[in-house]
Amino acid sequence: MKADLRKNLVLWLTLLALTIFFVAAASGMETKDWVITLLRTLSVGAVTFLVASGFSLIFGLLDVLNLAHGTLFMIGAYIGWSVYVRPDTFVDLLAPVLLLASGFTLSRLWNHLSKRIQMKGKAIRMLSWAGLLLSALILSYVLPRYPISIWDVGNYGQSPITYSFMANQGLSLLPPEVSFEAISPIVAALGLLLASLLAAFSLSLFRWGGQSAPNLRWQSFAGFAGVFGMGLMALFANDSLTAFLTGLDTTWLFLISLLVAALSGALLGGLMESTLIRPLYSRPIYQLMITLGLSAVGIEVVRTIWGRPEFVMPKPSLFNSTGAGCPATSLAGWAQNHCSIILLFDGRVRVYNEIFIPIVGFLVLITVWLLLQRSRLGMIIRAGVQDSEMVEALGINVRRTFTLVFALGVGLAALGGALAAPSMGLSTVMGESLMLNALIALAIGGLTSYPGAALGSLLVGLLQQFIIKYGVIGIHIPFTDIIFKPTPPLVPASTVMLMVIILLILPNGLLGKKE
Amino acid sequence: MNYLLDVQDIHTYIGQSYILQGVNLCVPKGTITALLGRNGAGKTTTLKSILGLTPPRQGKIAFEGQEIQGLPSFDIAALGIGYVPEHRSIFRDLSVEENLKIAERQKGDLESKKEMIFSLFPDLKRLITLSGANLSGGQQQMLAVARALVADNRLLLIDEPSEGLAPVIIQNMMTAIRKLSSESTVVLVEQNFLVASHLAEYYVIIEEGRSVKEGKMKDLVNDHETIHRYLGAT
Repeated sequence: MKADLRKNLVLWLTLLALTIFFVAAASGMETKDWVITLLRTLSVGAVTFLVASGFSLIFGLLDVLNLAHGTLFMIGAYIGWSVYVRPDTFVDLLAPVLLLASGFTLSRLWNHLSKRIQMKGKAIRMLSWAGLLLSALILSYVLPRYPISIWDVGNYGQSPITYSFMANQGLSLLPPEVSFEAISPIVAALGLLLASLLAAFSLSLFRWGGQSAPNLRWQSFAGFAGVFGMGLMALFANDSLTAFLTGLDTTWLFLISLLVAALSGALLGGLMESTLIRPLYSRPIYQLMITLGLSAVGIEVVRTIWGRPEFVMPKPSLFNSTGAGCPATSLAGWAQNHCSIILLFDGRVRVYNEIFIPIVGFLVLITVWLLLQRSRLGMIIRAGVQDSEMVEALGINVRRTFTLVFALGVGLAALGGALAAPSMGLSTVMGESLMLNALIALAIGGLTSYPGAALGSLLVGLLQQFIIKYGVIGIHIPFTDIIFKPTPPLVPASTVMLMVIILLILPNGLLGKKE
Repeated sequence: MNYLLDVQDIHTYIGQSYILQGVNLCVPKGTITALLGRNGAGKTTTLKSILGLTPPRQGKIAFEGQEIQGLPSFDIAALGIGYVPEHRSIFRDLSVEENLKIAERQKGDLESKKEMIFSLFPDLKRLITLSGANLSGGQQQMLAVARALVADNRLLLIDEPSEGLAPVIIQNMMTAIRKLSSESTVVLVEQNFLVASHLAEYYVIIEEGRSVKEGKMKDLVNDHETIHRYLGAT
């Protein structure tokens, strides 16, 4: 009890010292400077938090240090860009992805069927490899003939840079739709479905044995019907769906792209956990190596698909106007003209970067917090972070929760990427500095603490933004005439310093718990 | 004879160490069976092997006639086995109520068992909103046992319920365990022979990973030689 009190006292004193430090830093500035510094802090903090919170959820429950998290953030940004700038490509890809996923929604049926098979382990393994091979053969026939309209990295006129530039000019010059020629759409749909069913069944055979056969109910098929139906719809209503998306206001399109990026991230995370991470739970070093390797692979894949050069993503129309009445002087003025900039205390505030991003970040913070505190899944996560063996001993399938949490964490990172893309621009290395910031934020806030991730992200952002601002206006050193201007390398260095100081005082971070 | 739990010659490794080298354990329905033996003999590992937390490499485990060795732990537990681990493993970030609620296997389990749980452990009622981190050792132990009672468990595996508790609290705990054994079967690991001998009907002694002796507790109490030889105390 006494040690508890002492630890809390240290925590409060540390927080007090930090507050005094930042208030002192703010008091050395003019109002407009510190207001904008605070707003930028919220912006950087929100994006850092989206990466850090997912990372810490995964580490807390699964004990996996997902070093690919920064790369997944970057992939989220590229996916968001693709939906936003090239909705036709997105619609073209939707059908095959949904059809391929449909077979995997039938896991109950596969478990049920695999119980019925009376064969030796070796024969089963042969059967599953044969199924996978056949599935790959079908795919190798269907996919190259499947028409997908996509940009061309090798051709500057049709590269992502050009499409981004045109979209920024308000021009939406999408190339003509490609249509089914080499293969009939019905054959393509059936082929994809068959390949998916085969692959899902063969993969479930690998896990043969063990669990008791689940009962089949009509609910077991509801997910399949939904996914398969949507896939067919995307296939046959392709043109009207594309027309709908291209006709949409870019703000709505952007929100859709955020959603798609988050969902694709979650899907990617789920796949990654169930295929690559799950076999390695008992080998932490291999986990580190595989996530590090995946991070490098991910960067190369993105370079192949989207090209090496960096490009910008146009801001949605709600935040993009520079015409009459801009920059706005009040929120009402902004709402009327959709200006990209608001003047606040004579400072220029970029609405998207400094107001929209923090709002989304805050909404996600609250949503995930409610999920953790109020839902049964959240209860299982909080319990599992402490002792997943005990949760399992209560009869709860923790492994399934592991997959869900991995999907959630990666989904958050991908959402962060798509959200940050219009302000940061797209580059294959955009995840790296952010990942570093997120790790430092987690060390400061406490590695497995959700509020700690938020607090740490905020502190890291605050320190960096103050130093960046003071780099411009200079610090007047008292009793001398010297004006000290912090140089850019001091920005990352300062966060590491903060981390070192906090870890010396509180070895588990501000809100971390003793292991 | 028909046993609720029938463990036959299980062998368990933890990492490279050969911990259980042949344990047999038969638990008749509706009884309390005590696992006795010195520290490190393999009593806790036996419980964990039954639950599949440290799955045995060899041997058979049948629960209600169904073979359960090799199933994942959550499937084994869901068949109706409750577990109270050695160090209680109360979830610190969850409130007392959540600690109970998480053990539900069907919605409404807790509602229907609440009355029974509070009659066994009246103290829990006023602690219900407290966080698991703020409980004393005795309160944690009560909560750990209560947690195992929320779902419909026919078998309870209780590891060292008296460890680190004050004598008065041990008394309460014994009363509670005796009461709950009228509804479900209990396998008890207990260092404190006095406690074990008062609670259990049957015993199994484990020595260096093997079950070496079993029988009725009332015979063991008078068998000073066996007690001295395997338990090292009177």
